Amino acid sequence: MPDKHLSSQFDADLNSLSSRLLEMGGLVESQISTAMRAFTQMDLETCNVVIQNEKLVNDLEVQIDMACTEVIARRQPTARDLRLVMAVSKAITNLERAGDEAERVAKRTKRLIESGAPYNINVAEIRLSGQMAISLLRRSLDAFARLDTIAAAAVVEEDRQIDEEFRAFVRKLISYMMEDPHTITTGLDMLTIAKAIERIGDHAKNIAEFVIYVAKGADVRHIPHEDLVREANK
Amino acid sequence: MSQVANIDQAVFAKRKRTNKIGLILSVLAMGLGMIFLVWILSVLFIKGFSAINLNIFTESTPAPGTEGGGLANAIVGSLMLIVSCTLISTPVGVLAGLYLSEYGDRGRVAGVTRFVTDIMLSAPSIVIGLFVYALVVAQNKHFSGWAGTIALALIAIPVVVRTTENMLRLVPGSLREAAYALGAPKWKVAFMITLRAAQSGIMTGILLALARVSGETAPLLFTALNNQFFSTNMNAPMANLPVTIFQFAMSPYDNWVSLAWGASLLITFAVLGLNILARVVFREKVQG
Amino acid sequence: MANMKTMFDLNQIDSQGGRVDVVSNEQPRAAKNALEVRNLNFFYGAFQGLKNINLDIEEGKVTAFIGPSGCGKSTLLRTLNRMYDLYPGQRAEGEINFYGQNILEPGQDLNLLRSRIGMVFQKPTPFPMSIYENIAFGVRLYENLSRSEMDERVEWALNKAALWTEAKDKLNQSGLSLSGGQQQRLCIARGVAVKPSIILLDEPTSALDPISTGKIEELINELKHEYTIAIVTHNMQQAARVSDYTAYMYLGSLIEYGKTDEIFIKPKRKETEDYITGRFG
Repeated sequence: MPDKHLSSQFDADLNSLSSRLLEMGGLVESQISTAMRAFTQMDLETCNVVIQNEKLVNDLEVQIDMACTEVIARRQPTARDLRLVMAVSKAITNLERAGDEAERVAKRTKRLIESGAPYNINVAEIRLSGQMAISLLRRSLDAFARLDTIAAAAVVEEDRQIDEEFRAFVRKLISYMMEDPHTITTGLDMLTIAKAIERIGDHAKNIAEFVIYVAKGADVRHIPHEDLVREANK
Repeated sequence: MSQVANIDQAVFAKRKRTNKIGLILSVLAMGLGMIFLVWILSVLFIKGFSAINLNIFTESTPAPGTEGGGLANAIVGSLMLIVSCTLISTPVGVLAGLYLSEYGDRGRVAGVTRFVTDIMLSAPSIVIGLFVYALVVAQNKHFSGWAGTIALALIAIPVVVRTTENMLRLVPGSLREAAYALGAPKWKVAFMITLRAAQSGIMTGILLALARVSGETAPLLFTALNNQFFSTNMNAPMANLPVTIFQFAMSPYDNWVSLAWGASLLITFAVLGLNILARVVFREKVQG
Repeated sequence: MANMKTMFDLNQIDSQGGRVDVVSNEQPRAAKNALEVRNLNFFYGAFQGLKNINLDIEEGKVTAFIGPSGCGKSTLLRTLNRMYDLYPGQRAEGEINFYGQNILEPGQDLNLLRSRIGMVFQKPTPFPMSIYENIAFGVRLYENLSRSEMDERVEWALNKAALWTEAKDKLNQSGLSLSGGQQQRLCIARGVAVKPSIILLDEPTSALDPISTGKIEELINELKHEYTIAIVTHNMQQAARVSDYTAYMYLGSLIEYGKTDEIFIKPKRKETEDYITGRFG
């Protein structure tokens, strides 16, 4: 926030909310990339690391939510400040769920490893969309830090690509499973992993939508994309 | 640490000393005043008490040389003078004070009125008496109770005007505004709200004015003079306590001197009573 | 003059306290303005206290005025019932249309106007009379009621101010015997008793404790169904709680005016946002 409140404690409280959100975002980012590494390398240890660290993500959500509630109780924020607190409170929910998806990827990868069945599906799409999802999340958090609505609108746009990738992968998976029914179990795990990544992209998109809400005061969830871009550019 | 304590002790001791000196000086000053007050009152009481008996209220002032006698005519005369003075000075004074506070305020007329009131407040009462003599007594070629009333009123009115105006000014502006905000016209605000809010203060002022005029002698010398006999005719010289005291105090007759002391005691009690009454009325206002 | 008398015809109010001219609840009301302020400028001698104010005060709604000290909000309120007329050297230019009639025109019956546009002040000011007389005083100014009608009116007004249960057994006691919060409610009852069209509240709860404040805010909420209310407050949260419309003023100018929800969630002007979020620096 550029301007200062008369109460410096209030400034500090709001800044703390933003920075803790970014901290949680960083943690979730690293969870996702670790999970993707575990999947690519099929490494059991790495999977376990992700599963263990999931607890940290959940703890952060609870703590930051408590901090948001305290700010509302003590300061009765209005306008920009109110929107910021509301957005932080919702964004951490998205982050926590993104963390859940990362854990889901790790768990499914672990199952794939333990079942021993090698896969000969080309999983390039999964790796690619994994990278895109991580990039999208990082960019949405950047946009939040700078309250950059143009960057946020771009994130919303690119989430569509992840959705495209996912649909392509599903088609490929279906034909593969139809050919060889023995691969169905493996295929379903793959599907879950792909879906988890697609959801991570959606969470990043939600966070980007909140950026526009805080900066412009417009709730752009569920409106046509052209309208969203118009609000972002106002 | 002990160094700091020592310095504090020295300062504290000095302060205590200064306090004690101030206290002693104040008590001495008060004592000086009290001594004279008690002396006056006790002399008054001792000398006057012996004169107080039922006769005072039933018999009129005695002729020179005759025994006994009382102060009945003087008491009744004083009462009549004071009552009629009140009847004149209260409405005039209160309305003038109301005008100064609510209507005139900073206007030219108000300024002149205040100036005149201030002058009259500090005018010597004998001058006022002389003025009324020239205007009323000399014209009518005889002394009268009415002339006395006018003279007393001229002394009382400025007091009432001054206290009324001050008491009205003490009424907060927000009270007036609240009345205006309901759509009340100015005169209703002034009479039904502001005046009412200040009423105990104004009554106190009236009582204090009365207390002042009850003891005035000089103006009555030239106007009501005195009357040896019992009379309720305001058109003729009127008996009254202050002039009676004046006449009897330095006379060679013992009973006259004794009656003079008695009259002094009566006046003192009356003034004291009025002052106490004024205080009680005012205290009700402060607490209510 | 004849126009004003008809408009202010008090016979339109029956003794039960109901307004005869109110639109029934079945029909949706078109938003009507009780007061329209146009190009209002106000001067304390040479100093200009209000600069070109333009706004509408909608009928049946609560409009709040907020802003830092000296911004002119109380000045504006006091022009609405020409209270400034009591003080020489203060003058207003422009138009204030009260249901179409410009109240700034010279030659108005100001007393009658003030009975139609009532005001409650910051400091509770009960008259030095009994509670009953406090309320009857204002009513008697323009209406001729019998004893029983007056009794009804007093009871009605005290009920409106949520003071009846506390005061009904001491109607003959002095108004000054009530507590601060009760005194303020008495002042509100007094203002309501004369059945004005508009009630102006100048920081009505600044001098009161939180519970009394809460009761009066609740009162405002109920009164607004029958009266138009304009309230000046330095407590922003109060403005957010009670008002439908909020006006932000600064240094004599109207900076922003709009629906309260919008002002407090998404104000249009940065100055407004800075003020309500506490960025005074």
